[in-house]
Amino acid sequence: MDVIRHLYFDFPTVQDNFSQIMGGFSETVQLSLIAGAASLIWGLILSLLRQTPGRIGAPVRALAISYIDIFRGVPLLLVLLILYTSLGTLANQGTIPDFIGQPEWFGKTSNFWIGVYALVITYGAYMAEVYRAGLEAVPRGQTEAARSLGMSHNQAMRHVVVPQAISKVTPPLLNDFIALMKDTALVSVISLNEVVQVSSDVQATTFNSSALMFAAILYLLLTIPLARMLDKMIAGQQLKVQRAVP
Amino acid sequence: MSAGTKPILGLRGIRKNFGDLLVLDGIDMDVSKGEVVCVIGPSGSGKSTLLRCINLLEPPSEGTVILEDKEITVSKGDLDFVRQRVGMVFQSFNLFPNKSALENVTLGPEMVLGRSADVCRERGLELLARVGLSSKVDEFPDRLSGGQQQRVAIARALAMDPTVMLFDEVTSALDPELIQGVLNVLKELASEGMTMICVTHEMKFAREVGSRVIFMDGGKIVEQGPPAEVLGNPQQERTQKFLGLVLDR
Repeated sequence: MDVIRHLYFDFPTVQDNFSQIMGGFSETVQLSLIAGAASLIWGLILSLLRQTPGRIGAPVRALAISYIDIFRGVPLLLVLLILYTSLGTLANQGTIPDFIGQPEWFGKTSNFWIGVYALVITYGAYMAEVYRAGLEAVPRGQTEAARSLGMSHNQAMRHVVVPQAISKVTPPLLNDFIALMKDTALVSVISLNEVVQVSSDVQATTFNSSALMFAAILYLLLTIPLARMLDKMIAGQQLKVQRAVP
Repeated sequence: MSAGTKPILGLRGIRKNFGDLLVLDGIDMDVSKGEVVCVIGPSGSGKSTLLRCINLLEPPSEGTVILEDKEITVSKGDLDFVRQRVGMVFQSFNLFPNKSALENVTLGPEMVLGRSADVCRERGLELLARVGLSSKVDEFPDRLSGGQQQRVAIARALAMDPTVMLFDEVTSALDPELIQGVLNVLKELASEGMTMICVTHEMKFAREVGSRVIFMDGGKIVEQGPPAEVLGNPQQERTQKFLGLVLDR
């Protein structure tokens, strides 16, 4: 029992490295919030592009569908590595501007931003599919009613369809956000000092897993309340559905 | 077709097919200002599709629609022209559930006609009062009965100041006791001179309010005329058979 307590829950190990670990955790939270917010927006844009109407919209639809298919089907880790190993070179050769290839906005390192890129590219595709389910769940009659009042496709989407879709998809989007938050750990492979990387470093020098365990607990402190919130939201929605049935 | 007056709406050789399925097979009709045309017929006869072709929710496969002397094709500008002049009320209400009764009524004029919020609000309150829902302006659709929802939907369509109103089986989804309230609103509209095309199964309504009854079957107009004649003394065998089944109930 002592062995276990020493290996996983050794308080001094955590205490000695507390500020680094919390620094890493702060990085994790920032990465999650920025990438999460951007994915929510990018996903919505993708799903709306996928719904472009008419014959003129066909190429746009095809592009959006290809994008979603590709990035839902490729591991995030691979996207991350591809970007990490190529963007700097492209920027150096002048193929892409420096502020994209070696971004250092708001004092964050370019590895941080490449992590954001990869997360947004991948989670945008996941979230686009969630939005699509929501858009398709809004009855056709809603669009028809809006259109019969003379609203354009965009007006009908903006004022009638999208607000209804978003309230339907908030729980699954939150679910994707929790997944994204956990996947920020992958960005440690491009040596961003987020919480997993920092704790792993502590483990490598102390041969003690307590820092890693502590990182796990920090994650849980965020994910468990979010999951509870999600359950409440779903219960609330079910109540609303039951009430709406005449 | 009341003689002498110029038609406000004309259909010429309207055909509509969904793939192999021919739903409308050459419809010609004229509607004069102030006329109340009741379209009856069995399920699948193309009644609803006919309405949806008029406001181009379903563009006709062939034929032309003429509204206020303007031939409507399917260019973008025509869509706006038609939809701002032709109001439609649906069997399933289709109120916007995320908006209050009043917001449902004001959204169209605000977004499409660009009227100020104040003007729309005033007009919206007036229209909701007219359909007997002054006490429900701030309620959301899920707190309203089917009949109330349908009356909001009528007010919503009227808010665009349409010249023609299309009613697609507007009482079919309602409990029997709620039907009368909606029919009363329609009657009042008719008496005020609104041009209306009503797809309906309410034969009593067609008889009392209709200025003309059209019987459709198989995507064609089988018979039409004044309600008393078509409903009381149908000439076509198909009409007789249909009315025999419907009126006996």
